[in-house]
Amino acid sequence: MAQQPLIHYHVRWRPSGHQPGASHGLVAGTGDQLRSVVLLRDNPDPRRLDLRASLRDPFENIWVRDFNLNSALKVIVLVDTSASMGYVGKVNRMQVAQEISSQLALSAYRSGDAFGLYAANETINKQCMLPPKANRGAWLWVRHHFSKIKPQGQHADGLFSVVPYLPQKRCLVFLVSDFRWQAGKLKSLLKKLSHHDVVPVMLQDPTEFDELPKSGIAILRDAETGLGQFVWMREHLRTQIAEIRAQHIRSVNDASRMYGNKPFVVRGEFSSALLTEYFMERSA
Amino acid sequence: MNAIHFLKPELLWLLPIALLPFVSYGVKQFAFPGLEDWPKDFISSCLRWGVRALAALTLTVLMVAAAGPFTEGGTVTRVGEGAEIVVVLDRSGSMSEPLQNYDQSVNAKPISKIEASRKVLLKFMEERPADTFGVVAFNAAPISVAPLSADRELAKAAMLSAEANSSGFTALNRALAMGLDYFNNRPFTASRLVMLVSDGDAVIEPADRVILKNAFKQTRAKLIWVYVHAGAEKNILSSVIAGDNEFIPQAELQQIEINQNVAMNKLFEELEIPYQAFEVNSEAGLKHAVAEIARMTNKPTRYEYRLPRQDYAVYLYLLSMFLLGSLFWLKQIEIKAWKA
Repeated sequence: MAQQPLIHYHVRWRPSGHQPGASHGLVAGTGDQLRSVVLLRDNPDPRRLDLRASLRDPFENIWVRDFNLNSALKVIVLVDTSASMGYVGKVNRMQVAQEISSQLALSAYRSGDAFGLYAANETINKQCMLPPKANRGAWLWVRHHFSKIKPQGQHADGLFSVVPYLPQKRCLVFLVSDFRWQAGKLKSLLKKLSHHDVVPVMLQDPTEFDELPKSGIAILRDAETGLGQFVWMREHLRTQIAEIRAQHIRSVNDASRMYGNKPFVVRGEFSSALLTEYFMERSA
Repeated sequence: MNAIHFLKPELLWLLPIALLPFVSYGVKQFAFPGLEDWPKDFISSCLRWGVRALAALTLTVLMVAAAGPFTEGGTVTRVGEGAEIVVVLDRSGSMSEPLQNYDQSVNAKPISKIEASRKVLLKFMEERPADTFGVVAFNAAPISVAPLSADRELAKAAMLSAEANSSGFTALNRALAMGLDYFNNRPFTASRLVMLVSDGDAVIEPADRVILKNAFKQTRAKLIWVYVHAGAEKNILSSVIAGDNEFIPQAELQQIEINQNVAMNKLFEELEIPYQAFEVNSEAGLKHAVAEIARMTNKPTRYEYRLPRQDYAVYLYLLSMFLLGSLFWLKQIEIKAWKA
């Protein structure tokens, strides 16, 4: 695994935790954003003495600066482990999901944020459950546990039962899946997660849409239902499939937009630089 | 027309194997994350069954072809003018002697009697296209060379292959009996002729005469003796071959010969059967003989023509070659790896 740069995620909302971190928080504390100027008696910290405000005060009160705490985020990754996630095309989809999770775990630790992970297929996978904590070895934990996961199951409805496990306060939630879900499933899950900042991470493989075989015959077997489909690849079918894949991305886009999110589409290999770029675009 | 028969019907028990393609797809499979939004493709779904049906059909055709289907050709009754003629050809040693040759030049090759009679018979066959021919050749024992059939090529080949071979004894009576045997179990639809081609160098025992007479009566066949006439040179030669130091006057020898043949002629006449003899050593003699036989056999002939059996395995193999070719083609265009 090539060393990837850290993911610099950035959120526009203020986390309310008291744990010091990298984001502008809500509570008072040590930070780089001036909150207000208060009397020394209210905030007895002479290091933050505001000389200018104190001299200007005709009543000769001593004023102290109060800052917003740079507080930590809670980064939570939800992984769909239904059978379709086991697809190995140009890239191993589960491998990509692991890469994303471990990169996020490492980045979260480096920015002092808590990292949690939940995996679910038809039911929640309780063996692979990491409650959000500042965790130095989370990325190793991810690697260790992902190798044990066997993608199976026809749907990912277990993700709904993950929701109660999530913190009540707003977190940054990455929803890693290929979103080959029934129509409306994504929308209702996003609704349940609506008090969090959700980033749908959509995994795609080039062999699914734009690197299809040009011609020939084969049988495709659905990873989830096991149904077979005889295909005779040709130009007409290729354009049809490309259109359907584009339609799929559009529908995920639309569902996310309703809850103020924008999906991050991973085509083939995961690149952390692209995810950083995504966050830069989002907060611009 | 006819029911289909099989050369090896037990191979048809293998036919359930043809259902194998319906158990397995036979085409490479790839896992795919989701097919619920795969475009509906009519041609693909047709091919899905088409490929398996093609494979099943190929197997079926191969197995049926291996079983060797055929239909009996059956028989066709044809009506023609002609006779059923059994040529009883003498191939005894004496037949290899040269025929009387009028050409006295140095280059002229002497023609043996059998060669001459063969030529004459082939000519005769050509002039009688409607006749059915059978051939019996004999020297010490008769050989059934070609059965009485409409297959003229067979009869011709039989005549061409008849070579004189001396074995010291000429089984004329048995040859005639075999020739008459040909007529047994055949419907009497045409004039029957036994055409004896011989130089007459044979004798028939009195006991055999009765048998022959009965056989001729039973089959209602006529006898024609095409007497291959020998010249004076022959007599000289024969005495040399005999290694006879004793001088026998030519006239005397000829007399003996003539006597023997006359005796044979007389014998046939005594058999109380329709009998005629022709001397054939010239073109005129042949024409005369042909005309005479034509006169004798003016009765229309109904003869059974046996059609050859019709073999269908070849067509089935051709079809299976074609089917295998198309399967091979399908295998060629099969996607080996799911990538661009």
